[in-house]
Amino acid sequence: MLHVDLSSTFKEEVERLSAESKARAIAVAVHDLEGGLRFSLRGDRWFHAASTIKVAVLLAIFRAADEGRLHLGDSLHVRNRFISAADASPFHLSPDSDALPELYRLVGRTAKISALAEGMIAASSNLATNLLLDFVGVEYARKVLREAQVDGVELRRGVEDHAAHYKGINNEVTGDGLLKLLSAVRGDFLRNESKEQAIRILLEQRFNSMLPARLPPHAAVAHKTGEISTACHDMGIVYLPEREPYIAVILTEFDSEGDGRREIVAAISEAIYRLIVGAEPRANER
Amino acid sequence: MNAELLHAVDGVDLPQEYRGLLRPGEAETDFQGNIHGLPRFFYEIRSWQDAHEIRLASHFTLAELMLVDCREARLLLSQFPHYVPCAIVLLARFLEDFRREADAPVFISANGGYRSPAHQIGGAKSIHAWGTAANIYRIGDTLLNDAKSIQKFGSIAASLSPAVFVQSCGSQLGQTDDHLHIDLGFVSLTPRGCSEAL
Repeated sequence: MLHVDLSSTFKEEVERLSAESKARAIAVAVHDLEGGLRFSLRGDRWFHAASTIKVAVLLAIFRAADEGRLHLGDSLHVRNRFISAADASPFHLSPDSDALPELYRLVGRTAKISALAEGMIAASSNLATNLLLDFVGVEYARKVLREAQVDGVELRRGVEDHAAHYKGINNEVTGDGLLKLLSAVRGDFLRNESKEQAIRILLEQRFNSMLPARLPPHAAVAHKTGEISTACHDMGIVYLPEREPYIAVILTEFDSEGDGRREIVAAISEAIYRLIVGAEPRANER
Repeated sequence: MNAELLHAVDGVDLPQEYRGLLRPGEAETDFQGNIHGLPRFFYEIRSWQDAHEIRLASHFTLAELMLVDCREARLLLSQFPHYVPCAIVLLARFLEDFRREADAPVFISANGGYRSPAHQIGGAKSIHAWGTAANIYRIGDTLLNDAKSIQKFGSIAASLSPAVFVQSCGSQLGQTDDHLHIDLGFVSLTPRGCSEAL
């Protein structure tokens, strides 16, 4: 694999965007699968994972399926009650802050594991995430990350575990770590069928205002966003019909919630495209 | 009740792969340290369609009292026949009485009726393995996820018989805070025509 220094133009552009946006930190990690080009900017800096951690849960689910620990067509009890990683106290999630509120209507009944995986990624459902992680277990998911040689992704708990957050028990990631995670999803770690299904789920992402927003319309992006008050991330595999795909991770951290954060990520994504492809995404193609 | 679909079998006569999971008649120690004999006699259910057609009481089919998720043993989850303890008919009878007193439909959660001794939740130590317990997550339009609703309907259930046990509301071991757990104790039922001789 070819590791290179970033072009000064790209670095300058990211630094300019960072300064304009008043970001506390921005990290970028890229792997071009066409020529093997790989680079990162602050790729080892740790960020709050926000919902990007759901890709780690996705990897664990498909690995568990490959190992015969579960069947994707199996049903799982939908229960809105989880145990905090901090003090074992119970907590529940609110449908008001979940992009898949219809899943809450299934509480007490069951949902297919495959449907929960789709809901976790495409709609970023917190309830689906916690149900799946509760089922396979945090320790198992961490073991899968180790086996996939993904360092730089610290999965410690489910989402919306406020008691754990107050105690500083958070899911954390680096740009380089998420790059390895996506590489594991698309590499040989999963069986072909699982890999294809995992990528298909990532391609169904509903939130497309960051990584894909300023790419040509013929680009297909298998990706996962992550947003909380102080963080705004996107990570994905960019498929272009004329060439091999590239993987891009963009992590940003801010002092507080503000406007324009997604636009910054979209602008960096466009700069990565220019750097990788060597061309402007034509305006009339957007 | 369409009893013609209910066929009782002696668990000790089942193939080894089923006996290993159902453990008919075996002694098991519960969470309190008390020893009980696991159910020995089961109804053999040939298909989900049968489970849906078997109405154990006016408002309760067998299917809703045996719905489990993938925490159940694979053999008991994905292929038929399924086996449920015969005492489940007593649970259905009680639930019908409870429904009448509550004056609203009663909804049993997944994993909230019969679970085999091989189920990952509680296993053989759980009274759900006797088929005499129910986790009720909703009554009418009321979700039982707060102390007020759990206590209200728990009182109604407890008033129906001294044999009824209702778990208190709370987050400690042996309490519930997102459903109402009721059970009839470690009841086993031996159908007429079945011998308890070994």
